[in-house]
This record gives sequence, C-alpha cells and structure tokens, in this order.
Amino acid sequence: MEFTVKSYRFNPEIDEKPYYKEYVINDFPGMTVLNALMKVKAEFDGTLSFRRSCRSAICGSCAMKINGITKLACKTQVSAEIEKFGIIKVDPLGNMPIIRDLIVDQEVFFDKIKEIKPYLLGKTDHINDDFKALKEGEKIKQPVYYKTEFQNLTGNNDTPNCILCECCYSECGGVVANSKYLGPAALAKLYRYSEDPRDNDKNGSRLVNGSKPAGMFDCVHCQACEEFCPKGISPVKVIVRMHEKAIKNSITFSKGAKHIIGIARSIQETGRLDEIKVAVDSVGISGILNDLPVALGAGLKGKMPPLRLKLIKDMEDIRVAFKDLNLEEKHD
Amino acid sequence: MLKHDVIIVGAGLAGLRACVELRKRGIDAVIVSKVYPTRSHSGAAQGGVNAAFDENDSWESHFFDTVKGSDYIGDQDAIEILTSEAPGNILELQKMGVVFNRNDKGGISQRPFGGQSFPRSCYYADAVGHMMLHGLFDNVLKYNTKILYEYFVTSLVVDNGKIGGVVAYDIKEGRFHGIAAKSVLFATGGYGQVYSSNTNALINTGDGMSVAIRADVPLMDMEFVQFHPTTLKSTGILVTEGARGEGAYLLNSLGVRFMSKYAPKAMELAPRDVVARAEQTEINEGRGIDGAILLDVRHLGKEKIMEKLPQIMQLSIDFEGVNPIYEPIPIRPGVHYSMGGIKTDNNGRTAVEGFYSAGESACVSVHGANRLGGNSLLDTIVFGRRAGIDMAEYIKNVDFGKFDESAVRRDEEIFENIKKSNGKERHGLLKAELQEDMRKNVGVFREESLMKKAIEKIEELKERAKNIGVDDKTHLFNTDIVEAFEFKNILLIAEIIARGAIMRQESRGAHYRNDFPERDDDKWLKHTVAKLNASGGIDFDFSPVKITKFKPQPRTY
Repeated sequence: MEFTVKSYRFNPEIDEKPYYKEYVINDFPGMTVLNALMKVKAEFDGTLSFRRSCRSAICGSCAMKINGITKLACKTQVSAEIEKFGIIKVDPLGNMPIIRDLIVDQEVFFDKIKEIKPYLLGKTDHINDDFKALKEGEKIKQPVYYKTEFQNLTGNNDTPNCILCECCYSECGGVVANSKYLGPAALAKLYRYSEDPRDNDKNGSRLVNGSKPAGMFDCVHCQACEEFCPKGISPVKVIVRMHEKAIKNSITFSKGAKHIIGIARSIQETGRLDEIKVAVDSVGISGILNDLPVALGAGLKGKMPPLRLKLIKDMEDIRVAFKDLNLEEKHD
Repeated sequence: MLKHDVIIVGAGLAGLRACVELRKRGIDAVIVSKVYPTRSHSGAAQGGVNAAFDENDSWESHFFDTVKGSDYIGDQDAIEILTSEAPGNILELQKMGVVFNRNDKGGISQRPFGGQSFPRSCYYADAVGHMMLHGLFDNVLKYNTKILYEYFVTSLVVDNGKIGGVVAYDIKEGRFHGIAAKSVLFATGGYGQVYSSNTNALINTGDGMSVAIRADVPLMDMEFVQFHPTTLKSTGILVTEGARGEGAYLLNSLGVRFMSKYAPKAMELAPRDVVARAEQTEINEGRGIDGAILLDVRHLGKEKIMEKLPQIMQLSIDFEGVNPIYEPIPIRPGVHYSMGGIKTDNNGRTAVEGFYSAGESACVSVHGANRLGGNSLLDTIVFGRRAGIDMAEYIKNVDFGKFDESAVRRDEEIFENIKKSNGKERHGLLKAELQEDMRKNVGVFREESLMKKAIEKIEELKERAKNIGVDDKTHLFNTDIVEAFEFKNILLIAEIIARGAIMRQESRGAHYRNDFPERDDDKWLKHTVAKLNASGGIDFDFSPVKITKFKPQPRTY
C-alpha cells in the first residue's frame, strides 16, 4: 500500500518558519510509524529528524503527535492510522519547546523529575557499607519485605513502570495552564517514592514539597495523562491519592488543599456548594480581592453565585453520609 | 576545553552503577551519553538478574553453571568474582531503591533461567532492566551528577599509553568538544545493529568498541555473538527467556516440543546457543512455520501471564498481532548480545592506563563463548561497581594526561568532509545491506565459504563508504551525520567479527562452524585478541584462558 507521511518540519538554522513536508512511501506488513519515519530518512530525506532508540515501547524516545494524538511512534501501526485518518501526520510533542522537526527540548521535563527528589530519603549512601563478596560455603541473609509492603509498586500499571516518554506531559492540561506545574510524570514518580516502604521520609517532606505551588494541587483533573499513557499508568489517580494523603496528614497549607476542605465543609454545613465561602476558605480575603475583577466580570454576565444559601431539605442524609466518611477514615 | 576527573561514556546500567560509586565519594565524574540515560538499552532487559540467595542454592553452583555456559572459555577468576559478589550487589541495588518482586517468605522472588541449575533469576515482572535502569538513574540525579546529554563520543585521546580524555560531538549544537580527564570509562553497550534481525535498540552500533580499537585498545573474543532464541518473528523484538523460565514450551510445525531431541534434560531451559541452534535446525529442516517456530505460554493461564509476563503479552499484541493468552507466539533466533568487547581485567582496566570499560562493551571475560540469561545485568552492576571503585582510587595519585587538541580538529574535519561530500551512497542503505549480509553469512551456523562472502561484502562496503554523502548539512541536531559515523563503527565491528569467526576453526558456545563441528580444546582453548594495524587491517593475537577450579568437560544439557 502506498501512503503519505506528512511531517512537521522546522530547522531554525535554515528555515524562517515551520512547514509540513509530505513523503509518499510503501508500507510492509506490521509497519509502525517509526518504521515509516526511518524509511523516509534512510531512503529519501536524511534531514528529517526525530529521536528513537529501543523500537519496543520501553525507552520512551519516540513520543510524538501522530494525527494529532500523542503516542509512541514505535508502537503505532501504520495500517490502523491510515484506516482512521488516511494519512500519517506527525508533529512534535506539546508543552515543550521545539528544537528541530520532531525533536523537543526535554530539559525542563527532566528538571522537574529531579525536583521531586526521585530517590529514597534517609541515609543510604555510606561508602564502607556492608557490601560483601561471599567466601566459599558462605551465604547472604536478605532483609525481609513482604509483598504487601510493595503492593502499590509491583502491579502492571503501577507508577514504577513509567518510561518517562513525556506523552502525559505533552497532553497535560495542568502544564498548559501553568508551565511551571510539575506535571503527571514527576508527580507519579513522587508517589512511587512516597509509597516505598524503604523511604525514610520522617517529616512528610515529600507531601509538603509536593503541595507547594505548581505541585500536585495544580492538577486540573483533565485525565489526559491516563488517556495517553502508553504503559497504562494513571498519574491522575495517584495524584488524587496524594491529595487525600496530604489532607489526612494535615498538610493543608496549599490553596488546593484548602479548596478541597472548603468544598467538603460547605457541603457538610449546607448541603450545597457555597462558592463564595469556598473561595474565602481557599485563598482568603486578600486572594478574593485579587480575583475581584474576575468575580465582578462574572457578576455582570449574570454568573454571580448566590450570596446566601438555604440548607437543603435532606440535611440529615448529608450528616449521615459525612459520619460514614469519618468512620471510613478511622479504618484507613 | 572541558575538564573533569572522570568521564563515564554511556549511561546504561554499567555506566550509572560506576557513576554512583564515584559520586558518593564526591568525585567529579561527568556522564557523557548520546541519548538521555533512560533511553539506554539496559532498560529493555526483561527477565532477570542472577544471584544465589536460596538456602538450597549456592554461589559456587552459579559459578559452575556460568563456566559451563561459557563453554569453558570464560575466565574463572572473573566468573568467581561475578557469582560470589552477585548477592551482595543485588542487595546494594535494593538499598538504592530498586524494587524486586517478593516471594512468600519476604525475600526476592526468583525464577528459573536457561543453563542455571537453580531458580536464581531475580525479577520485577518482565521489566527488570527498566526497573534497575530507572533506579540507578534516580541515584545519579540524587548526587547532582553533571550529565552531557546527547553528546556522541568520536575518539579517545591517548598519549604514550595513558588516557587524556575524549572527543565528543554535541549533537544538539553540532559542535565538537575536547573533554580532558584523568580516567575514562566506556560503558557503551553492544553492537546488535551489525545484524538485520536483532533485539537491540537502534543506538547499539558498537561505538565504544570501535572508538577503543581505533585508539589501539584491543578487543577480545569478538566472534562470539549471542543469538537469542525467542525474538518476535516480524520485528526481532525480544521475548524474555523468563517466559520459558515460567514454563513456556517451544513447538515446531508438528506441534512437537522439539527440545527433547537437543537437550533432553534441560529442554526449553537449555542455554541460548543450544536452543537457538535447535530452532534454526528445525526451521532449516522444514519443521518451521514461515521461517519461525512457536513459543507457547497458553497453559500458564491468563492470570500468571498477566502477573509475570505483562510486557511480553503487550509486545506480542502490539508488534506481532498475537495475544499469547490464546495463541502461541511466532518467534525465531535473533542477534542479542556481544560476548566479546574491550579487553579488561577484573577491575575494568584496559591496555591504556586510566581507560576502563564495563558492561556489554567490555570483555572480562565472564561470558566466554555463550552468556547465560540473567548474567548480563549482573555483569553490568558487579563490574560497573568495581570499575567505579578502582577509578576512584586510581585518580587519587595521578595527574591529567596530555590532551592533544588536534584530535578535536581531526574529528571535526571528518564530519565536515562527510557534509561537504557529493557522494551518492546513502549510509542508511549501506547499513541495511551490511546487516542482511551478516545475518545470512555470519549467523547461527557458520562456514568458511559463507563468511568469505561476508568479507567480500564488507570490503565492497568499505569502498562504497568513501562515497557516503549526507542530506543534512546543518549543525542543529543533525542526526544524519551521527548515523553516518555510526555506520562506520558497525562496519568496522562487522569485519572484526567475521575475520575472527573465520579464524576460529572449531565450534564453541555461540560460535558454531558446520565445517568444524567439534570443540577443539587443544588448539582453541584461548581468547582471540584483535587490534588494528597501521594500514587499517585487523591483526589477531591470543591470550590464555584462566582456569582455576573447573577443567573443561563435554558440555551437554
């Protein structure tokens, strides 16, 4: 079958602006988008630039937008794309500066990984450790860790399976809203270490640091990270788990945590969402004043929330529900 | 010019492991890697890493299995280090944050692997390489290590037998740099891209080995190329030996478990050279299916497949269109690993003072003529660690060697000349021709007449390579020029493999000669050592095999 690869092209060294270039090539059975790009490069146009390494969906090099959707090129079948779109249109990842063609600058992404301290805290780095070369007949004793202690780290779709391919980051609504936001991969890594039984995080510093501005409470819950992860991991799910964990551990200084608590309190007290009160709870009066122009604008367009809320009729049910929730917390 | 006490080239497991040793001692070590570290091919290792932990197992048994697996050409002093330090090294990694699956007693879960007399392969589902690579990368970040991302090393700078540093090409900026150092480690991995059907990443182009031999550092045992028995039929993507460790069958077109004919005791869990040859024989004798045979895991059941082999299930679906829960997987042997490499001692030292190598790029030799599954990850961490510690000691008492900066200009010129050339040869197409020729003529079954054809092809390609032109004349992230240089590297490696394989007139481990089907200990119980001569040809020499405990015996399974 003959088909068209249409690639985003931009080499700032020689091009004034980005453009698309089309290549018509033949497929072979089982051809992936990466195979197609390699064929173009080897046979027709050596200037087409992209990253690639393992070609088996484990190294995370070849993430790109394929017909508008972020995917690993090595894992994407040409035939399936052609069937749906009639073409293979490729673009560089989103949310990252473009260096050239399909190659983006990953520095900020990896800086964010580093920022969350992706390693066990506590003293693990002694030089004269108890490392041992065994003598004849000698055996070594292992430290004991039970399966349950690693239960959130050993499932097929658990966070240690992340390959740092940046698919989630490329599609992340949180990064669109705030380019400083750590993003799903870094936060999944934060979760991975916070769930490790060997992590010696005495003061809960992981969740404290993760709660800072541009941290886990900047997630906008768009679910894109889960949708686009080629490894079936759901960063948003573990981000929400970390929200809960932070609040349960009274790490509530962040706007995000206050917002969640405010919503819960409003519903507990009135059965309704008292938006004004929630706003005061999350950002305080000074925060409200900062946002006043937005609020006034909304008011002028008839989007002002009511100033006083009536209790709903079935408040007793709400109280029962909250009582149950509290009970659950105690079991946790 | 950049200057660091230590340069680590390559950021797979061996490089990162060495780096951790250096950085935790506060040493100024820089990582230079042509890709971001987590893109390194160590991450694709699936099945396991061997160490004797169980009370009914012993490191001595692991020691013997490895010597036997090597077909008695592995150096026994080195294998003793590998196996006696194995459990300690695994526990070190565990302390650093690497997660392994657990057994019911709270220890590390272990599975059987080929050629091992006890289930001693520690694993993290079927992605243990990924787990170890990311765990070590995280530790390298912890120590605030400087990393020169996407720098491609083109030359070693050596003066009077002592290392001075490296020449590296910054791919992003398109600029050459000299980097001076007291000590340099090459942990640059293998050369799987020499062959067309291989399990390796596209980046595995034997760069470190080529750069080393051009700097007069000898390579050892390069004719021993491992063919992995189970790679996906259409793409060559790896299907872990762990599948057979968990109980998978190999079936021919008649539905027969043919391994009973070739290794009646070990069956599917015979070493890789034995299984690969058995498969190829079945295929050659007409009992294959469209050039492949079948790997059947169906009887393990959905639950076990999902729990223990999730990655290979997904790879089979995505790349072969087969769901192994319901259908057997079509597989065939494919090039997987280089037993040979830069000749080192047990601390990673080479013939050049201050220059080290570890991991697949090195040949200590612990794998001899055939590596056992689960021993390569072990090799990277044991000898990566040892190299790191030794370098830390070495640099204490030495000064920087002489760094002749004309080396930088020389490499710059090589690149500029390729760019200026109007040559019509495309490196991408030459590479494909070479790979296919090597597959056909220096493959699982070898014989002189075929290998001579390969040499003819290589000579032809060397001529044509003089006319390589590149489309991309720019500086910014020019992958075209990098690939052109990589092609020259794999072409050199191919020649060393082929010439070494012609010379070794016996069958041992992965090196099987139809015209010399027996092992010949009288003549060939020795390592081959390759060097470049003044005219660019390859000279061979030999070095003795170190035999300490186990006398060579017939090798049956």
